[in-house]
Amino acid sequence: MAKHETPLLDELEKGPWPSFVTDIKRQAEKSPQCWDILGQLELSFKERITHWKHGGIVGVFGYGGGIVGRYSDLPKRFPGVEHFHTVRLAQPASKYYSTKHLRDICDLWEKYGSGMTNMHGSTGDIVMLGCRTEALEPFFYDLTHNLQQDLGGSGSNLRTPANCLGQSRCEWSCYDTEEACHHLTMHYQDEIHRPAFPYKFKFKFSGCPNDCVAAIARSDVAVIGTWRDNIRIDQAAVKEYIAGNIPANGGAHSGRDWGKFDIQKEVLALCPTECMWMEGGELKIDDAECTRCMHCLNVMPRALRPGVEQGASICVGAKAPILDGAQFATLIVPFMKVSADNEFEELIEFIEKIWDWWMEDGKNRERVGETMQRVGLPTFIKVMGLEPIPQHVKEPRSNPYVFWQEEEVEGGWERDVEEFRARHAA
Amino acid sequence: MALTNDELKAAILKKAETAPKPQLYIKDFYACDPDSKPRVIKNAANDLVKEGKMMFWSSGSTTMYAMKNRIKDEEGEGGVN
Repeated sequence: MAKHETPLLDELEKGPWPSFVTDIKRQAEKSPQCWDILGQLELSFKERITHWKHGGIVGVFGYGGGIVGRYSDLPKRFPGVEHFHTVRLAQPASKYYSTKHLRDICDLWEKYGSGMTNMHGSTGDIVMLGCRTEALEPFFYDLTHNLQQDLGGSGSNLRTPANCLGQSRCEWSCYDTEEACHHLTMHYQDEIHRPAFPYKFKFKFSGCPNDCVAAIARSDVAVIGTWRDNIRIDQAAVKEYIAGNIPANGGAHSGRDWGKFDIQKEVLALCPTECMWMEGGELKIDDAECTRCMHCLNVMPRALRPGVEQGASICVGAKAPILDGAQFATLIVPFMKVSADNEFEELIEFIEKIWDWWMEDGKNRERVGETMQRVGLPTFIKVMGLEPIPQHVKEPRSNPYVFWQEEEVEGGWERDVEEFRARHAA
Repeated sequence: MALTNDELKAAILKKAETAPKPQLYIKDFYACDPDSKPRVIKNAANDLVKEGKMMFWSSGSTTMYAMKNRIKDEEGEGGVN
């Protein structure tokens, strides 16, 4: 039985799409505090102002992240949401769960919290919505002791690292994303659980340029699988695709008749660098021009595979919109071997070099991508001890000025110009 | 020369007690010892939280530090208001 009249929210149940209002009403039958979410939200719709207070000192002992304080500013009117803290659980690599484990998590949350969850937050965590302060420690005890699961990151911490399915399921994965994600998660436990930085910091691991965890759009360090030799071509399979004997796109999009497969129209003409052509009945690729868009591999997975010399491209500095709009990560290292054999040493060294600089030079609440934007890519590359390479260049320069470093100029900035002019008239 | 860990912690506490703003970002403590690396200062500040002398305040996206007696507590005396 509804506790509050919610005519505005009820409108959101009328469309053909799933409705969070319906979900909350259903959950409220079990957890009555959820009625107050609806009541408070209805009021916010009417008054056009939020009634949530955001943030606080809440947490569990020894941790400085994983829990986000939420309070109602109308606790007497909506006592069910007086405290309504969010708890983030670190998701397992690739989000593999047993259904038993998911049920156990849900049971635990119905015992200590509202029972409402969000699968998953944009960082990848399982988000548990709504519990009171006094329930946090007992929930955390049961979570860690009975379910062997940990909290994720929040605040100015390293956020829960995320990865795609990687080599566990995907033939395109150019490195073991699960191993990399797990190793770095364990290596950086302190940074995940206690604040360390001027602002949040994320890394994500995608096995190939399809980038199924959207690392390039959402992480400060995106580790995206790639290869540096040539795409492997099975010419016999190419012929089978052309003959229509193998369905394109692995049989996806097969709900309607798209007509006969046309390699010219569906693959060659869509190559962004126009580096593919047919010659003598064979598919040819100018691999030096390939930008790893993955379209041809996606369309003809039985004919085309990533090369054999595999590793990852490292891009730095993505963020979702904050101050200046969304920003994709910038390619910094075109190819790096990413391997458990050396415990991801090269990647760890790269990440820590960024941290040492950003912790010093980043402003409060400034993502590393914003710091890079502020100081400029040339400065960032210098900080990282890298030589500029063509892949760093966004577009040809549009002004004629050349900027020199002091050490590149004979006599530096201190030389006697008059003495110079005595020999070289202006 | 960088401060010892105890000296650094004392300097951080002093800053947290006397700063005009009660809640401070980790970068606000860097000035406590310009010779210490940010990571050393972060570790000292986090140790003070572990020892119960300071507390974290988190908005969810950013974390700040404060003395217990100066922190904004949504559940302060009289409960949530």
